[in-house]
Amino acid sequence: MNPLNHKKPWMPYMWLLPSIILISVFVVFPIVIVFKLSFSEISKAGVVGGFVGLKNYTDAVNLPAFGTVMKNTFIWVVSVVGLSTLFGFIIAIVLNQKFPGRKIVRSVLIFPWATSLVIQASVWNYIIKYEYGSLNAVLLNLGIIREAINWRSTYQIEFIWECACGIFVTIPFVAFCVLAGLQSIDESLYESATVDGAGFWKKLFHITLPLVRPALSVSTVLNIIYVFNSFPIIFTMTKGAPANKTDTMITFLYMLSFYDRKKGPANALSVIGFLILCLCAGIYMVTVMRKEEEA
Amino acid sequence: MKKVIATLLTASMLAAMTAGAATAVSADEPIELDVIICQYGPNTNDWFLGSGMDGTNFVDKFEEENPDIKLNLDVVSWNDVYTEVDTRIANDNAPDILNIDVFANYANEGLLLPVSDYCPEDLYEDFFPSFIEQSVIDDTVWAVPDLASARALFCNADIFEEVGIDYPTTWSELEDCCQAIIDYYDGEIYPWGIDMTTDEGQAAFAYYTWGNGGGFVDEDGNWAVNSPENVEGIEFALGLIDSGFTNPNPATQTRYDLQDMFAAGKLAMVIAPNQLPTYVADKEGDINMVTVNIPANDGKESSSVGVMDRVMAFKDDSAPDQDARNEAIGKFLKFFYDPENYVGWVSMEGFLPAVNSAVESLVEADPTFEAWLDVLGGCQFYPTAKAEWDQVKQGVIAAEQNALTGSSIQDELDALQAELEG
Repeated sequence: MNPLNHKKPWMPYMWLLPSIILISVFVVFPIVIVFKLSFSEISKAGVVGGFVGLKNYTDAVNLPAFGTVMKNTFIWVVSVVGLSTLFGFIIAIVLNQKFPGRKIVRSVLIFPWATSLVIQASVWNYIIKYEYGSLNAVLLNLGIIREAINWRSTYQIEFIWECACGIFVTIPFVAFCVLAGLQSIDESLYESATVDGAGFWKKLFHITLPLVRPALSVSTVLNIIYVFNSFPIIFTMTKGAPANKTDTMITFLYMLSFYDRKKGPANALSVIGFLILCLCAGIYMVTVMRKEEEA
Repeated sequence: MKKVIATLLTASMLAAMTAGAATAVSADEPIELDVIICQYGPNTNDWFLGSGMDGTNFVDKFEEENPDIKLNLDVVSWNDVYTEVDTRIANDNAPDILNIDVFANYANEGLLLPVSDYCPEDLYEDFFPSFIEQSVIDDTVWAVPDLASARALFCNADIFEEVGIDYPTTWSELEDCCQAIIDYYDGEIYPWGIDMTTDEGQAAFAYYTWGNGGGFVDEDGNWAVNSPENVEGIEFALGLIDSGFTNPNPATQTRYDLQDMFAAGKLAMVIAPNQLPTYVADKEGDINMVTVNIPANDGKESSSVGVMDRVMAFKDDSAPDQDARNEAIGKFLKFFYDPENYVGWVSMEGFLPAVNSAVESLVEADPTFEAWLDVLGGCQFYPTAKAEWDQVKQGVIAAEQNALTGSSIQDELDALQAELEG
């Protein structure tokens, strides 16, 4: 033990105190308030009334759009996290190779992640716009299509575009997490494997993946949380239209609270979302840690 | 013991003196009013807080004339204002004065002051009576109008001349016009714009139901969203979409998207507010436009849609002097609606006025105002004084959007009506 800490055992807690205060004020306190509100009657104007038990929860679950929203949320999280992890991993492996201009490529890659999601979603909106969209303009000019295509003809297609935008902006985050993990792998392991006759796939599955797993675990857990809570892409591109058919839980509860003014059920949905996230993150972390212990 | 008594006496005297000093200070302190104003355009913030009012701003000018009142004024975007107000109410920190469109929820929950408590009588008499009527619940006026806009049909005159057709006045004429435009331009130009988005789907409902003798409420003021006239009206709108006469994605293309298309000459007809010419000019569009009545079903009367925003005052039981607070709110309103200030504001924002005293100056500055004031006189307004308005507004939008994806509009509106009655 550090001799300084031995003399002053409270010292570490003093260093932690600012973080604890910040987390308590900005994270724990709002969570407690939302839990409390989810069991309270809340008027349309926002006045908080008395305890109503589970009424807000039953009202939320019985909403006609609830099933669609839950299904959309599942597809949104699985597709965005899954595909961005796959593509991010591939890009990280490419970026870990030595090639001219690697630094420039790495810098450019960070742009989609560093740019505001509202701007990203607006740009995607302009790209796929039927009337003046740049996608139609490019394809028409190249002679690939003869007339403009309505890229948003059904709500299912609109939702696919939203997922594509989500994947695009999330890839850099995964790529840089994995890249950090790749750079910590000792080169000599690959050299030894090469001497032993291992090919690309063997090295990938027996060296790269096991050693990069901690970085992938962190990025996946964080991604699940970010993507689940992501609001700007869907709100900017469709606002959940038509009739909540492209909503995820976060945009739905916002619409419920501030458009429909059903604040009680909106708070209940917030709590349900929070618990789902805790459960997903918990299961994932336990599984990963168990595998690491076994390894 | 004597020392203790002397100390206590001294302490109590000091406490009394401090309290007296505090009272004296509070008596001199100005009354603070928290004001929330909605952002109508890019110049709103500058006019209220920057230098957009002839080098000065509303707050500075008001405080200069009323040194006993301090304004804590925030200009909040329309996207955020509901969140901001609801959060403040939930935290028992409602603004003193609020500019917004809706008021019924606040009034029904006992949060608002009646207008008669703070509005000077001469100012009250100055408001258009038909506007004041829109803010009455149980014979009490809860808010005053701050401005209005009226909707009409804007047509691209060059397209109509090129195709050789007249402006439509009825639904059957409208269908003929749409078909003629489609045939002439081979689908390159959309004849008709429809916005059934979350932003303004309620306006689409109003256009087609009021134009068919229906509406949100029946003659007795009860909700009647599933009336046969309403179902027929929305089915007509859906028919226009199915026939390929409209913009392709009415559930996600907002009025602003339609206005952009109109400004670019890509859309022949759009129902829009009176600010459209300014909007088109800002977009550098060069459109020769004509304004006509919104077409109605054959044999039915055309009706314009009026949209009105309001100013209201919240109760504050913690205010030490309620009369002084009410008087301060009255002074704020008097100053705001003073033609010297109000005319500049309404012209800047491109809306229509809510008070008689501003009409003359506005018509003098822009003669087109007079025609719009006539349109406004015949407008119908949304039934925002009814407590269920939020539910109805979102309900009709959801019904339209579900119908766009294949549901029956009759079933959708029946379900909404049942929900309202249940």
